[in-house]
Amino acid sequence: MTQLSSFMESWRRSARLLIVAAAVFAISLACLSAAEAKSDKEAKPEKKADSAKTEKKTKYSGAELYSMHCNRCHPERYATERTAGQWKTIMMHMRIRANLPAEQAKAILKYLQEDSGK
Amino acid sequence: MTIRPTIIGVLAAGCALGLTVPQRALAIDDAEFNALKELVNKQGQRLDQLEQVHQQDQKALEQDRKTHDQDQQQIQSLKQQLDLTQKTATDAQTKAEAASQVQPIHPVPEGRDATHNFTMVGDAEVQFGKTDGSHSAFALADFAPIFLFRARDNILFEAGFDVALQNGTTGTHDAGSGTSVDLSFATIDYMMNDYVTFVAGDMLLPLGTYSERAAGWLNKIPDDPMARDFLPGSGIGAQLRGAIPVGSSGQSIAYTVFGANGPSSMDGSGNHDQLDLGGNVGIKSDGTSGNLHGSPSGGGRVGLFYPFKPHYDFELGLSGQAGTWDDADHRLWSAGVVDAAVHIGPNIELKGEYIYTWQQTDDVGTIHPRGWWVQGAYKLAGLNLELPMINNVELVGRYDASRDGFSVKSDRYTVGYVYYLTNTLLFEGDYEWLESTDPGTDHNRFVFQVSYGF
Repeated sequence: MTQLSSFMESWRRSARLLIVAAAVFAISLACLSAAEAKSDKEAKPEKKADSAKTEKKTKYSGAELYSMHCNRCHPERYATERTAGQWKTIMMHMRIRANLPAEQAKAILKYLQEDSGK
Repeated sequence: MTIRPTIIGVLAAGCALGLTVPQRALAIDDAEFNALKELVNKQGQRLDQLEQVHQQDQKALEQDRKTHDQDQQQIQSLKQQLDLTQKTATDAQTKAEAASQVQPIHPVPEGRDATHNFTMVGDAEVQFGKTDGSHSAFALADFAPIFLFRARDNILFEAGFDVALQNGTTGTHDAGSGTSVDLSFATIDYMMNDYVTFVAGDMLLPLGTYSERAAGWLNKIPDDPMARDFLPGSGIGAQLRGAIPVGSSGQSIAYTVFGANGPSSMDGSGNHDQLDLGGNVGIKSDGTSGNLHGSPSGGGRVGLFYPFKPHYDFELGLSGQAGTWDDADHRLWSAGVVDAAVHIGPNIELKGEYIYTWQQTDDVGTIHPRGWWVQGAYKLAGLNLELPMINNVELVGRYDASRDGFSVKSDRYTVGYVYYLTNTLLFEGDYEWLESTDPGTDHNRFVFQVSYGF
């Protein structure tokens, strides 16, 4: 029973911490959603003016994917720092290390190679 | 005497005749003269014309000679090219005959782009710091090159090292120094398709994200979170990993599943203080290969990455590992990690991990070394102050804690900054308040660090 009590106690402590962590991230999610809603609201007059455009972006460009993924862990690296061949090698490493989807990794590579150094 | 007068008379007649005949010869008329003159003129003109024609013919002949010489040279050149072409054709035929004897290993590379490439990346750190109870000192904290060798479009070999300089010892006092070279990781990576990559070797283990995404110039705070000491950073084994896009806005689910030799025991027993997280590399000290215990360890991570838009994203991951660790295969070591990260705009970052381990032991039952850390960072560029240097500053704070499963509790509070001299040259500084029930580790510390990522 003692073992069971201490086990339950440690689980309760862990559960409390998990609940706090979940609350923090839920608040963060709310902030993120609010930020997205605000930017959608600000963009509405432009959307009304151009009804041909879709309301929600369905595909990111290489530049957007680059800013989305490549700033998560380290400061931005400039395309001219490396040659096209080096970027190919480095993007293989980053695709594996950061678990990037293949199509997104290819789009980022294309973006980098377009402005790569000589 | 009559002959002389005859002779004189003949002579006189002759003279008279001679005198008159020329007069008669000179006596051609003007018309004949003019005709003759005209004829002579015409002859002269004709002669001039013939002279001109002759000169033109000479020039033409010279030109023909030159053309002939050029033609001769061209013929020579064509003969040489023909010889070369014949030689090339002969060589090609020889090669084709030889190639038909060799069976190529598919797929054979196509195109002219080089398939091999060698690139080095990595980082280096220099520190100046002081720990309570010690003097301040400079240190070459780390030189960590990463070698990347691309063999083909889907094969990569990568290896990372940590080169460090540390004092030696006489046994009672520090003396001299030694350079240590630690292999952080070394793997062969084979991208089987867009969703599955096979990785094998000395792998960084996907327990949380700290090990895989840590480097001196990435961490923002020089010290690793204390709770990371309860986890193995790397292990010898193999894994399958990849990412699957979900939805239409850049979301993805990342997965990793791995098998490794697993933690082992320093003396072979299951006593709690003999746990060895970094050993059991597959080749023993006597040169034979084998796991130090009978059963390998396994684990994995699954994570969700949810971007709302660039710079606004959320990531949540769950990972774990389990396996025996003592030589008798009686005692289980396992770990579970929850990791999360949030980016709210380009200037705000929050991330953290919760780490929980279970260690079955021979002497003290099951213990639970555990800990957590949460770190926040804010780039002052978000204030839009337009002040010089301010935009390059990022404020960082971290709270990390560890519980050793017994009575030692440690809590550390760190505040610091990162100044971006360039995008890859960082000047960092932080102060750490460490409160611990272990008097040996209860100390504060400050450190300045220059780190360079390359």
